[in-house]
Amino acid sequence: MKKKKQVNNIIVYTSLSLLLLFWLFPILMALMNSFKSNSELLSNVMALPTTFKLDNYHRTIEKMHYLRSFFNTVLLSSLSVGMMIIFSAMAGWRLCRTKTKLSQIIFALFVFSMLIPFSSIMIPLYKVILALHIKNSLIGLSFVYAGFGVSMAIFLYHGFIKGIPFELEEAASIDGCGKITIFLKIILPMLKPVTVAIAISNVLWVWNDFLLPLITLSNNKKYSLLLSTNILFGQYSSDWSAILSALILSAIPVIIFYAIFQKQILKGIGDGAVKG
Amino acid sequence: MTKKRRENISLLLFVAPAFIVYFIFKLYPTFSGIYYSMTAWNGLSKNKQFIGLANFVEIFSDANFWKSMLFTSKYVIVMLVVANIIALCLAVAIESRSKARGIFRTLFCMPNMISMIIGGYMWNFIFTKVLYYLADHWGMTFLDKSWIGDPKYAFLAIIIVSSWGIVGYLMIIYMAALQGVPIHLIESASLDGATSWQSFRKITFPMIRHSLTICIFWTLNSMFQVFDVIYSLTGGGPGRATQSVAINIYEEAFTGNIRYGYATAKSMVLFLIVLMITVIQISVMKRKEQEL
Repeated sequence: MKKKKQVNNIIVYTSLSLLLLFWLFPILMALMNSFKSNSELLSNVMALPTTFKLDNYHRTIEKMHYLRSFFNTVLLSSLSVGMMIIFSAMAGWRLCRTKTKLSQIIFALFVFSMLIPFSSIMIPLYKVILALHIKNSLIGLSFVYAGFGVSMAIFLYHGFIKGIPFELEEAASIDGCGKITIFLKIILPMLKPVTVAIAISNVLWVWNDFLLPLITLSNNKKYSLLLSTNILFGQYSSDWSAILSALILSAIPVIIFYAIFQKQILKGIGDGAVKG
Repeated sequence: MTKKRRENISLLLFVAPAFIVYFIFKLYPTFSGIYYSMTAWNGLSKNKQFIGLANFVEIFSDANFWKSMLFTSKYVIVMLVVANIIALCLAVAIESRSKARGIFRTLFCMPNMISMIIGGYMWNFIFTKVLYYLADHWGMTFLDKSWIGDPKYAFLAIIIVSSWGIVGYLMIIYMAALQGVPIHLIESASLDGATSWQSFRKITFPMIRHSLTICIFWTLNSMFQVFDVIYSLTGGGPGRATQSVAINIYEEAFTGNIRYGYATAKSMVLFLIVLMITVIQISVMKRKEQEL
């Protein structure tokens, strides 16, 4: 019986490890081949690089304006998520605490739109963006993301605030605190756990979003990381050593982010399901 | 001023910032989209001629659109089965390990963090360079297929890459559910002589059913809008063989023929379908929950 279990164990570990190898295969292959010159790459894709050259990386950092694209993406995600959080926390708090018909209607209006898929409104949205002259504006685009993200965030804040006792706010209000003070001094600090979860999942979303920047950013000075990578792929369609180093470069920030916040990220995915 | 009125005014002040961005960028486009879908608007001319339901009539006989719809449905159904089975198996296998559980979980979920644009291009390299090399030099001749160029294999390639991207996410949901299954139930079943398959079938599975429903409908909703994977892997090709609805709409509107009005009508059809799925989803889930 015990022996059977041990054999069983070995089989499961081996198959998991093999599957994991397959899982990471594209990333490892991209990494390994990104150090080779093009001729070295074409002659044998499975061989380890003979020398550890960073030429490709130098080349692509320059070609895809890596730093500029990186900071564009940082600006875009932090502004978008910052606005999303402040706007939704304010709205979620009052929507939860105000027990009027109006409050219910507004909340329902926010929740209803979670059903609308992005691809079905992208054209009228594009028209709005043109009309407001925010095409090619990273700041403008972050307002768009905020508009898209508030529904879900309000929904989450609303649910979280329900569980916070009302007495604290009441006491502060009797002490003469205004609503803004109560919000900033009492509510906002208590929302921290849910704020962290919302921030992390939305940073990942904005950072990895491709279709919206693709239709709104046409000026290469404003390109996000993904757009620069995409353009590079189009321009160097057979220069794999350049492309692979670009792919690694644009994957690195997310992988670092994942390494730092993996506990929160994985918990967020699991929690979302449990509450679902 | 009554108390209720005061409450409502403060509510409006606090809701205003969120509501304004939400209205401008989500609500307004949704409703104006309904109007644009009934115009011959082409993005160039100022006037948008109202043509009633003519766009929708045209959609009916638009072979390319229905081909992309058929492709998307096929893709969604295969993904639904494949991704959920792999994710559930992985979750069970990893969750029951005493060692290395965390590292397996973290690494299997990693592709989910990377954009599918990057992932798609990495796989593009695998399909167009590495697999040929393996077929030629390592004798794995079964890999010698036109993975991107042949519609049949391109579909398979898209399924592989999409699963690679999404399985980690689903796996985490299943693992969270598995943690909620009390260990003593499994132990006592095994003492009573139940095989592990029996105890999975009769105890674990019913207890994680809720997460299965969530995963299925989450896959349904997100897969119906598939864009990134296909864009980076096949670009919808060869020809239009792997064109999804989202790619079809994008092309109609933003590349070549800028027929905004017509493309908007197509996107309304997509919206209706997603809405229908969601309504079915909600009613099914409600019924399931009542049963419990």
